[in-house]
This record gives sequence, structure tokens and C-alpha cells, in this order.
Amino acid sequence: MRFFLLCLFTLILFPLSGFGFQIEVRSPGQQAIPLAVTTFVPLEGNPPAEVIREFHEVLSGDLDFSGLFRLVDPDAFLSDAGRVGLESGQVDFDQWRILGAQALIKGGVFFNGSQVTVEARLYDVLRRRLLTGQRYSGAAGDVRTMAHAFADQVLKAMTGELGPFKAKIAFISDKTGRKELYLMDVDGHAPAQLTDHRAIVLNPDFSPRSKELIFTSYKTGNPDLYRKEIYTGREARISSRKGLNIAGRYRGDGRAVALALSQDGNSEIYLIGTGGDIHKRLTRNWGIDVDPSWNPDGDKIAFVSDRLGNPHIFVLDIFSLEERRISFGGKYNATPAWSPQGDRIAFSRLEGRTFDIYTVRPDGSDERRLTFGAGNKEHPRWSPDGRFLVYSSDESGKKAIYIMRADGSGRQRISSPGGNCLHPAWSPRW
Amino acid sequence: MKKRSAMRLFLVLAVSVLLCVGCAKKPASTMEEGYGSGEAAAGSGELGTPSYGAIDESAIGEGGAGADKIPGMGDDISALERVYFEFDQYTLTAEARDILARNARFLQANPGIKVIIEGHCDERGSDEYNLALGERRSRAVQSYLTSLGIPPSQMSIISYGEELPLEPGSSEEAWAKNRRAEFKQAR
Repeated sequence: MRFFLLCLFTLILFPLSGFGFQIEVRSPGQQAIPLAVTTFVPLEGNPPAEVIREFHEVLSGDLDFSGLFRLVDPDAFLSDAGRVGLESGQVDFDQWRILGAQALIKGGVFFNGSQVTVEARLYDVLRRRLLTGQRYSGAAGDVRTMAHAFADQVLKAMTGELGPFKAKIAFISDKTGRKELYLMDVDGHAPAQLTDHRAIVLNPDFSPRSKELIFTSYKTGNPDLYRKEIYTGREARISSRKGLNIAGRYRGDGRAVALALSQDGNSEIYLIGTGGDIHKRLTRNWGIDVDPSWNPDGDKIAFVSDRLGNPHIFVLDIFSLEERRISFGGKYNATPAWSPQGDRIAFSRLEGRTFDIYTVRPDGSDERRLTFGAGNKEHPRWSPDGRFLVYSSDESGKKAIYIMRADGSGRQRISSPGGNCLHPAWSPRW
Repeated sequence: MKKRSAMRLFLVLAVSVLLCVGCAKKPASTMEEGYGSGEAAAGSGELGTPSYGAIDESAIGEGGAGADKIPGMGDDISALERVYFEFDQYTLTAEARDILARNARFLQANPGIKVIIEGHCDERGSDEYNLALGERRSRAVQSYLTSLGIPPSQMSIISYGEELPLEPGSSEEAWAKNRRAEFKQAR
């Protein structure tokens, strides 16, 4: 298991000598910082070139996608790029200033035949000093994870908050002919099938505290809610009441789940424990109430209700049970997702003939449309740092998983072709 | 199943021809989707050439309730027709009620047959909302049948939302065919 191999990680934090840049990542129109990412130098033991190349590719891809940086063309790099001395006193920062770089990443790789150790460093070119450095050790096959981890650290050094790249995306794919649950890296690498229910599996959600997922499955003929431990593979059916047991979402403390049950004759939102026992019924309305999404404080839920005639987004306080409508446009609003920062709710709206993704403040103000163009974009979910969104779109003809920045820019597909891929969820940092 | 339905088409067409000789009006179709009037019966062996030969055909009854009992059916529930819905609606149209009235007669005549009423949606919109809407549709059908005297114990409901479309594709026609409730036999 990779996770345990990565326990061989040795993280040595170099002292942070203050943030070189303080940036609010999500403000639109911000300046991208010119960043040079060198291909790391082999330091000992002849590390395979493929390993070094892969680290560079993954790190550059993550940082380019982040929107924080404009990557300097590696063809322009001068001799310092290949220099072995990595202490800030040994780096020729003038060469990098000539190229216009303000930030620089250099590193070195050790290899002992099976273990790879990577030392990665981020420098502030203008102030000529180290911003952050990390050392990672593991199997050669884990180099992508190391690169994702360093990308997260780079974001933390620049903005104060860790990036979300060392995480997993859960999703549903029908490539076996049946909808099953899968897991892949944030860049779409290494998709792995997690369920073999051979029925219909839907809508996964990660536990915030442990490596578990909840999802709905028709395995026994009824849409029931299941919980699955990712590493042991153990599954338990936690809600199998008559009718629907769907749209399960963990509360932020991991101790409760909101879901939609129709056991009383109508789809309503309930609060249950992780073992499945009902704690509280949250909606009591003739309309369809479905699709809950928690705020980070765990005291409010955004959800979909058609009590006014067609589906709109509402916010409910789980203590007072007060409800408030927050979507006012369009005739069909669905799949709300509350950001981990708590300041915005993403959702999909049918406008004309297609669905697009919007965000809005929790009070219903400042609505912004994020996606345009052909295809139905649905089911947005936030990255744990709230900078990015993962969603499904059928613009290519089949449903596929895409990621984008929270302002709608940087859209790119991450799921491989073959079948329809939908219902993505972005895990907490793995 | 395909062969059986094709045979059924052949029988109905033959009977219809006998009953509607000279009629310009097309008989109301009770067939499943995909079997338009242009399709040949499998028995004829020639695709695209429907056999409207003037053969003599008569029904063989299993005895019992006469006009209410559909001849030769036994435990076959393919006489139970689908009903369709408008986008984002679960209310029954007048046509749906007519269909369900016919289905009710069959169910009344076959009290030993238990059915599952499945609710389905087209592919648009939230999968979860569609699961709930599909359930609304199946519940609406069940309620109406109950009001026509079918005992609730003879029916159960399930929703598949948009998960099991009848017709793949993203056209208005495909969507209209997928917004449905249909009947399956409970085991």
C-alpha cells in the first residue's frame, strides 16, 4: 500500500524566513508570478531520468493549473539550472532575474537502487532566499505523490494555505457496463475501481476524518447508503430504509451524515449518525427535498427543493430548521456544494438547453456564472482549500470529469476516455 | 423477449387488419417503443415488409372473466403499458390515466400477479433530484391504481431516476421516451 510506503517520508522543514509574497489566490485579475521550475539534478546513485522527468511534469502541471504562476519557458534556462549546489548561497539568482523569474524551484534527487529521495526548494529570486524546502523519500513509483505534495507546499509558502494536489478524486464510471465507484489522482492518474456491485453505484462523498467513502448503491435492488473503508475494502450498508437512501454527505466533524430519505412517502432531508441511526428529520415539506451540502461549521445545509414548483436552492439551519431560498434565476437549480471556506455555494443551473455552474454567496447575493459553451456542466464539488472545483461535463459527447479554478478559468479534463465519468468528489488532503 | 414481442406485433396487426378493414385511422399502438408500424414481424423473415395477409385469426381464451381477460396471457405482464410524463412533472396526463385504467383492468383480472412500478426520468438535471422525481412518478401511478381499486399489496414502487434510460441519446424524442413509469413483475 502506497500510503505506508510514504510513511518513509522524511519531511525536513527549512525555516521559513517570512512570506515573499502574500496573495489572495481567489481574487480575479491577479498577476501571475513568473516561476521557473527546473528539472532536478541527479545527486547520487544514478536516479532514472524517467523519475526526474515525471516529478518535473507533475509539479509544473499542478503549479501551472493553480493560476498563481506563469511558468518561464525551460528552453530559456541558463547554466544555473543544471548546477548541483542548492543552498541559497550557491544559486546564481542574477541568471533568473534576467529571465524575469520572481520565483524559482530547484532540487536534487538521490537513488539507492529502490528508494528515491527528492530534495525540493522554492526560492524568492528578488530577495535571494529560500522560501520553503522539503525532502521526500519513497519508492520510485511514488514520485508523482511527492511532486503533488511539494506543489501543495509551494502554495502554502506563497499564500499561507496548503494546496489540494496531494488528494484523491472519487467518481463514478460506467466503463465496465455498470456504474461503479473509482478513485484517481487529482491529475487523473491511476484510476482504480473500488466497487464491484454490478448494479448502480452513485454519488460518493469522502469522510473528512478517515479514509472512507459513503455512496448509494442498488446492489440489493433498492437505493441504499453504503460506507466503504478505502484501504481494507470493508463495506457496510448504513441506511436501507424503504424508498430512497441517497445523496449522503458527511458533516465537517465526520460524526453525522445528511441524506435524503423517502421512507415517509416523500423525499426529505434527515440527519443520521455514521452507523445509520436517525438523529433528526430536517425538512417537512410536500415538495422534493434532496441534495444536501454542509457549511464548514456544520450548522447549515444548502439543498434542493421544488416546493415552489421547480427546483431551487435553499439554505436550512439545522437547529432552528429555518429555511431560506437562495437561488432566484432559472427554472432548474441543483447540485449545491458549499465551499470549505464557507463564503460561496456552487451549483448547477439549467439555462436554455444546458446546465452550467454558478456560485453565489450563502445569502443568495453576488451570483456569478463560471462555465459557458456547449455541454452540461453539473455536480460541482470544491477542493479542500476552496481554490478549485471538480465537476462533470458532457461537452465531449460523453460525461467526463474536469477541474477548474474557483473563478471558472483553467478548465481541464482529468478523466480518461472510456465510458461516462460523473459524480466527482475531491478528498481532503490524503 | 424480442421474438415474443414481434409475434405479438404480428398477431395484433393481423387482428387489427381484420377489425379495421377499410378504416383510415391507425389503431392505437399498444406496442413497446421501437416497434413502429413499419417494422416486419420476425415470423415473416423479411425485414421491412410487414405481412398484412388476410389470414383468419381468432383468440384462444383461458376461460374465466371474458372481455376483461386478455387472451393467452397467463403470467405475462407485457400488456401493462408504460405511461409518460412532462419534463419535471409527476402529474398524470389524461392519456396516462386512460392507459392506467386499462392496466388496472389487467391487474384486477390477475390478482395473483404482483408488479413493481418503476419511475424514470430523462437524463437532464441532478441525478439525486431525478431519483426523487422518479419516485414521485411511480407513487403517482400507484396512487391512481389504488384509487381504481387495485390493492396496494399487489404493487410496490422503485425509482431509478435517470439511471436506466429506455432510449439513449440527447434528443427531445429520447427524453420524452425516458420520462416514464413502467411495470415489472415482482418475483
